[in-house]
Amino acid sequence: MKKMLSVVLAAVMMLSLLAVPAMAEDQVLTVVTWDATTTPYLLAQKEAYEASHPGVKIEYVDVASQDYPIKATTMLEGKDTSDVFMVKEIDDIIKWQAQGFAEPLNAYVEKTGYDMSGFVGTEENYKVDGELYAVPFRSDFWVLYYNKDLFDAAGEPYPTNDMTWDQYADLAIKMTKDGVYGTHYHTWLSDVVNWTVADGENTLADRNYDDLLYYYNLYQKLEDAGACMAYSELKASGLHYSAAFANGNIAMMPMGYWYVSTLINYHKDGTCNFNWGIAAVPHADGVKAGSSFGNLTGAMINQASANKDLAWDYISWLGGEEGAAATASVGARPAYVSETVAAAMSSVEGFPTDETSKGALIPSFVGMEWPVAEKVADIKTIVNEEHSMIMAREITPEEGVAEMNERVAELFE
Amino acid sequence: MKQGEQKLARARMGRMERKKTLIAYSFLAPNFLGFAIFTLVPVVCAIALSLFEWNGGDISRLRFVGFENYATIFNVKKVSQNGLAYFFNRVDLGIALKNTVYYTVITVPLTIICALALALLLNKIRGAVVFRAVFFFPYVASMVAICVCWSFMLMKDGPINHFIMALGIDFNKSWTADTTMAMWSIILVSVWRNMGYYMVIYLAALQGVPKELMEAATVDGANKWKQFLHVTLPQLRPTTFFVSIMMIISCFKIYDVVAIMTEGGPGRSTKMLVTYIYDEAFTKVRYGQASAISMILLIIVLLVTIIQFRSEKKFSND
Repeated sequence: MKKMLSVVLAAVMMLSLLAVPAMAEDQVLTVVTWDATTTPYLLAQKEAYEASHPGVKIEYVDVASQDYPIKATTMLEGKDTSDVFMVKEIDDIIKWQAQGFAEPLNAYVEKTGYDMSGFVGTEENYKVDGELYAVPFRSDFWVLYYNKDLFDAAGEPYPTNDMTWDQYADLAIKMTKDGVYGTHYHTWLSDVVNWTVADGENTLADRNYDDLLYYYNLYQKLEDAGACMAYSELKASGLHYSAAFANGNIAMMPMGYWYVSTLINYHKDGTCNFNWGIAAVPHADGVKAGSSFGNLTGAMINQASANKDLAWDYISWLGGEEGAAATASVGARPAYVSETVAAAMSSVEGFPTDETSKGALIPSFVGMEWPVAEKVADIKTIVNEEHSMIMAREITPEEGVAEMNERVAELFE
Repeated sequence: MKQGEQKLARARMGRMERKKTLIAYSFLAPNFLGFAIFTLVPVVCAIALSLFEWNGGDISRLRFVGFENYATIFNVKKVSQNGLAYFFNRVDLGIALKNTVYYTVITVPLTIICALALALLLNKIRGAVVFRAVFFFPYVASMVAICVCWSFMLMKDGPINHFIMALGIDFNKSWTADTTMAMWSIILVSVWRNMGYYMVIYLAALQGVPKELMEAATVDGANKWKQFLHVTLPQLRPTTFFVSIMMIISCFKIYDVVAIMTEGGPGRSTKMLVTYIYDEAFTKVRYGQASAISMILLIIVLLVTIIQFRSEKKFSND
């Protein structure tokens, strides 16, 4: 018996040795990214790329999303040879460029005549001194999600694409009854006050935070009215916005476009079954309706990669029209903008079919969530620390904003 | 002839001694090697790194800046203008130091009192083994699980607040979202988690208190409290000293509870030295400055250790 087992084992080993060279014909491109198993567009991109590039296999190196910048940096510092690193935040690529991890791309663009007009200028965020270091493939902006069933039940009209923040607040308070929250704010700074950058003039690094006051006051008014869950509870319970909205007792929720694909999937797997739609986020008085803010996601080539040409082929494909179609096919928003891509986005199965939702796909302006600026990492810490104090009501919005102004000013003394 | 024999014997002894020493060293070697690679070398590197500016990347990007990192973390310019109060209220390092000391000063005595009380209670009662296991359990349980559970218990509508409200105290807020109570929730979790471990140490020490002393005290008419105060407590002095030193050092290194429960917030109210180091090193990628802060921590821990070495004799009962 034992003898037979060892013979079988030996045979299996021999076979596996034989199998390796046969597989080695495939070129493998390793791509470092986050949440690879739960992010639908990553799977769609891999499938589409492998289908159109026989002989190349994409292998994702999966990192938990909240740790991504730290872990990816650690990998790069450890001379990891993965070919492509996805870029989560714009300042990551600035940091990696400064550290010498990012391959300069201008030469590749020239060599292959890469057309970047579809990025409508967003690729500028990935340039340092005129040299491109990453290709954008996703451009998320923030929209307002709403639960159509709750609005129908309350007999209130759906949110529109041209609401002001005050109208939105009134609507949220009206919708708050019988265990329904009018709106929902996640604990992030971005969810509460980033709206200030939608006017194209303010940024979160402009060293003056007086413009945040309006949004903090608006938030506190809603929290006092019970129109949204309290910040301190959300912080302590760690309730994720995706589960909160899917619960079905939240009427509206401002959130990034990425949540569309999550919601579509939730409906597919039965996590939730209410009707939903999206509208443009409300706008401040004097700011064009449909203005929002957003963030870019891109991909860069690792300097230490041994397959740089193949890596370029992949990231240029990813950013270009074919990659964009794959990204859009599951409800994510690609950075590459064209009629075809917009049509692909709204024709995704499960995407709301009303005109408002379709209209919300084309924002009139998208400011950057965080700009690339001097000492932006320090500013982020300060603004977030004061944000948590204001949100926990340890200090008033006026005191918090005054602190932001003072502490950020101290940074530059 | 006799002399020759003696010489030979001495030489044999010497050889044996050398062999023994070699064997001893060979036993020490693996441990020391690990210590050298994973502790000694990094510590020495960190000392050097605190004098450089290095934002990651290749070693060639190191730039010698002398004590500039220290000047930055102490914010020397502003502090010299505005005084020490400014340092402890506005500068990150000052706040982190103040918070860490506050945490240590409360946690150490509180843990000792709880651990000792538990040890005394469980020294003799029936079913002690079960209770000992119960109180020791938090020490072996996963820190993350503990912190998450406590976060839920300390929520606005959590059981702890219900209990407090039932006592007639008006506190209607999540502990971790309150600048004062956030620190206390961290203290609470730390004490609760560690008291079982120190209880075991005290239990062992209690076995060492001589029965004769107790009997003598009883004969002299000392009541239970006086026996505890004048016999048990002095007998436990070396243990208490050891436990305090160990705890002070571990308190200065507090990170996990803060990272899971409050992330240093709200604001900067639970920012500790180690969370500050983490933030500088891994979110802002300023290894030089992070190393400089680590040096401050190293000096504090070193001072405590020196005090321990110096006073060990004084506090031992010999």
